[in-house]
Amino acid sequence: MTQILEILISGITQGAVYCVVAVGLSLVYGASRILNFAHGSLYSLGGFLAWYLVAGGPGLPLWLAVLLVLPVLALTGIGIERAIIRPLRGSDNWKINTIMVTLGLAFIIENGLQLVFGPGTRTIAPFVEGSLSVGGITITWYKLSIFVISLALVGALEFFLSSTRYGQAVRAVSQDMQGANQVGINVNQIFGLTFALSVVLTGIAGILLAPVFLVSPLGGWAPFLKAFVIVVLGGLGSTKGAFVAAFILAVLEAFVIFYIGPSWAMPAWLLMLIIVLMIRPKGLFGVWEN
Amino acid sequence: MSSGNTKSANPLIRSVFTGDGLRKQSLVYWAVIAALALAGGLIGDSDIRHIFILVFIWCIVIASWDLILGYAGIFNYAQLVFFTFGAYGSAMLSIYAGLTPLLAILAAAGIGAVIGVVIAVPSLRLKGEYVALFTFAVHLALPPLIQQGKAIGMGGNTGLLGIPWLNLFGYQVSSIDKLTWYWVSLAIGAICVYLIYFVILRGRMGLAFIAMRDADTFAQAIGVNEYRYKLLAFVASAVFTAVAGGVYAHYTGVVTPRVLGTEFFLMAMVMLAIGGMGRFPGAVLGVFIVVIGNELLRSFDDYRLLLLGVAVVLTVIFLPQGVAGLFRKRG
Repeated sequence: MTQILEILISGITQGAVYCVVAVGLSLVYGASRILNFAHGSLYSLGGFLAWYLVAGGPGLPLWLAVLLVLPVLALTGIGIERAIIRPLRGSDNWKINTIMVTLGLAFIIENGLQLVFGPGTRTIAPFVEGSLSVGGITITWYKLSIFVISLALVGALEFFLSSTRYGQAVRAVSQDMQGANQVGINVNQIFGLTFALSVVLTGIAGILLAPVFLVSPLGGWAPFLKAFVIVVLGGLGSTKGAFVAAFILAVLEAFVIFYIGPSWAMPAWLLMLIIVLMIRPKGLFGVWEN
Repeated sequence: MSSGNTKSANPLIRSVFTGDGLRKQSLVYWAVIAALALAGGLIGDSDIRHIFILVFIWCIVIASWDLILGYAGIFNYAQLVFFTFGAYGSAMLSIYAGLTPLLAILAAAGIGAVIGVVIAVPSLRLKGEYVALFTFAVHLALPPLIQQGKAIGMGGNTGLLGIPWLNLFGYQVSSIDKLTWYWVSLAIGAICVYLIYFVILRGRMGLAFIAMRDADTFAQAIGVNEYRYKLLAFVASAVFTAVAGGVYAHYTGVVTPRVLGTEFFLMAMVMLAIGGMGRFPGAVLGVFIVVIGNELLRSFDDYRLLLLGVAVVLTVIFLPQGVAGLFRKRG
């Protein structure tokens, strides 16, 4: 029994971080209908930058490193939108072209990281040690803190989207780009903003999971695919849906890893994706776009 | 709209409708193939022959990808999955079941058809970029499965070694016999590419593909069975790619999960991006440019994959129709 509870808790804490990656992916898709295939590589980028500042070179404390990495990630997001997404807007085969360039970008980041930092895996020491024991169930303080931080991030995003002027503008663009343009919203600015937020979110997730999963140049594909399955199950553009889906899927993953083995985790996610698509292609809460 | 002014928005569709120039273009095609066959005899260097053998095998893969992605407009990124199944299937059938390699390659085509259906069925429930993600997820999930497949003789990480040589009328074609391989791969490649571009895409099926790609709703309104034709696109694309996989396996004698690695995938993407999708002979020219370019880049080995990634992004932004767009026929 305690074992099952432990797996459950481990799944739930993991799920919160996956949720951060997923809402980032969903945010960009909602606003600009771009499925950013480089989302996972940007996750690795966040992890690597933080690792470099903490353990690789300057030896900064983690909080300072995160403070320095955040603006870099935000600028990266804005830069990607400006340099490779905006020139394609309005082109003939916009959809396939954005898939090609974001996939290309993913490989550029991946191989760039490999060139600069080398191919191996890295880790960042967790910022809290020790663990909490309640009634025979043990959970590390670190997992508990990343759980809380992730919830706070998703909550902050939800607040931003629902209650601030810019957040409302993002939602307006998601619902009707031309309408938003007509009422005076600077659509390009909103695209830049969503890219910046998205990269920041996935980058933070990369930093938070670095002590658990390690960071490696190619390590971004797994979180990217998981985020995608979560977004599909939760329903596009639905933060609430992503939230619920992340927990369901992460708990399932935790059970698969424990009972069948870690190498079955990815095939299990794929299977879950197929099952979701077969029985509920709209997702739990989302509205399937035509 | 006088009869003298035959400008149409898309010259391709017009020629498919009317079969314009099919015979002339076929003749030009086979003349080019004959020239390549002759060139094979003139090339003395076996390294260069090797590069061309790779080009011919890649041509099948990229033409099949162009069929489904460029013509049918289905964002399928599981192309190398078909290739892998073809390569492993053919290799395992000839190693364990003792099939002669030519039969094994034919059987690989059958395996390709099955895998095509298996991947098509969930994909056809999805739209646009979701297909891209699902199919790419299949690609990413396959290497760990191959490792699990060690139990059934898939060789795990080291792959399969000692795949039997091709046997042509009692003559064993070893990997070192580059000249015979040059001709064999050219022949198989030429037939596959001809079937794809001149038979399938010029016929009813190709017409349906283009209609679905360019005017989805309209195509359905005039009675194009979307599900059936998209399924056919998957199957046709998978069958040819699996054949390419089989030929590759018997040529190199080795198959490892590396065929699903970053390098092959990036190469395939660059070929299609540089060549241009949906515009024969763009994609095929892309193969020649990229394979030869890749060999020239060997001296920058550390930066090669990075450069390939940069090439994808730059060509899509600055040359969205690939080299095919450079000399597009004035309609």
